[in-house]
Amino acid sequence: MDAKLINPFLGAVQGVLPQLGFQHIEKKSLEVKKGKIKTQGVVIVIGVVGELRGNVAYAVSIEDGKKIASTMMMGMPVSELDDMAKSAISELANMLTANAGINLSNEEINVDISVPTLLYGQEIEVNMSEGNIFCIGFDVDGILLTVDISLEQNKS
Amino acid sequence: MKAIIVDDSNFSVTLIQSMLKKKEIEVVATASKVKEAIQAADEYCPDLITMDVTLLDGDGIDCAKEIKKRNQQVQILIVSSMKDDEIQKRAKEAGAMGYLQKPINEEEFFSALDRVFFSDALFKMLQENYKDAFQEAMLHMLQQTIQGKIDAKESRGTFNIRKSLGVSVAIGIIGRHSGRMILDMKNQTLKNLYTMVAEDKKINKAEGVIFISEFANMVAGNAASLLNQLNRGFGLRVAPPTVFGGKDIVMSLGEIENKTVIVNTDAGEIFMNIGFKKGDEVWMQNLSTHF
Repeated sequence: MDAKLINPFLGAVQGVLPQLGFQHIEKKSLEVKKGKIKTQGVVIVIGVVGELRGNVAYAVSIEDGKKIASTMMMGMPVSELDDMAKSAISELANMLTANAGINLSNEEINVDISVPTLLYGQEIEVNMSEGNIFCIGFDVDGILLTVDISLEQNKS
Repeated sequence: MKAIIVDDSNFSVTLIQSMLKKKEIEVVATASKVKEAIQAADEYCPDLITMDVTLLDGDGIDCAKEIKKRNQQVQILIVSSMKDDEIQKRAKEAGAMGYLQKPINEEEFFSALDRVFFSDALFKMLQENYKDAFQEAMLHMLQQTIQGKIDAKESRGTFNIRKSLGVSVAIGIIGRHSGRMILDMKNQTLKNLYTMVAEDKKINKAEGVIFISEFANMVAGNAASLLNQLNRGFGLRVAPPTVFGGKDIVMSLGEIENKTVIVNTDAGEIFMNIGFKKGDEVWMQNLSTHF
């Protein structure tokens, strides 16, 4: 995967989150992993097809997931990861990926995205691809959000 | 519904007219020049315009752009005997709903219309058929690869959550209306399947991941093809699979309407859940079959 492809996602996080009520967004880390990621908490995966093919995963802890849902729902208290909270987090992943898609199309790379798949658990191993995964860590108002991008040029 | 045909060839006009008649779309005007087309569009406010690229006095895509500027609601389908990337790009930028190559294939033409004007009907058709398509693809895949008992049963109702039995695969499906397929099974079922398919007893974790990815990819790919054959307007494509493993994993399925098929084999039980969501109108133009 080409490292340049992470910029549209950086742009999406920086551009979309402030509109949802998040104040401070900072890129904290960038790691390259091979094939799979290990995480815990909540993971949302969105499939990508078009001129690029692959998946993008968003990971947060359960507690941070609840905080995200609460902020997105205008500060409403969220004590459990219920349907409403899950739906808010899924929608966030959807908005970020769609926005990254628009950023990509501005660079003449056209992609379409699938509906999100959300799962949660103690120890989650996500096998995304046989190639590299770019994992970007963000600090969002104290919330640790990881965006894991695994995209390859579509040869067909 | 009202349509205008803009084309400098009488043959093409007649052909398109007869196709539109089958869809009960009334042709209110025809034009062969840029000026005539713009005037007719102003006068009749049609739902649809088919636009040839080469007109007697100018360029059809520039004409489409001008008409779109005056009336955003109208859907314009660009038709041309040439097929090159530049024309398609310009057509898209002009705000056209799609691009078809001449001679127009009736099935392609209707699919393009279905995507834009009959989106609700298209979604209903998808809802009525996706379960059967995925079930058929899964059964076909198993029948080709393993021996013994294979049967599939629909589990009624929409699932809200699913506790993973050990290994799960998710595949995003993208089209006019998008969705996803999820498979879930015990680790032992995956091992048994691999043993039956590869006639090999030993399997390490990495091999298991590759095997189940390919398995899921083929099922979803074949199901998408079956549905696309039913109506090309679905335009379904599959994203690469993601394979999950771990501890106490719960998948959330209830965000979209979904259907479940439980497949029983001698290797064990496979849980297959598929769901689709009605596509957003905004994506319509980007998702046109030919872009």
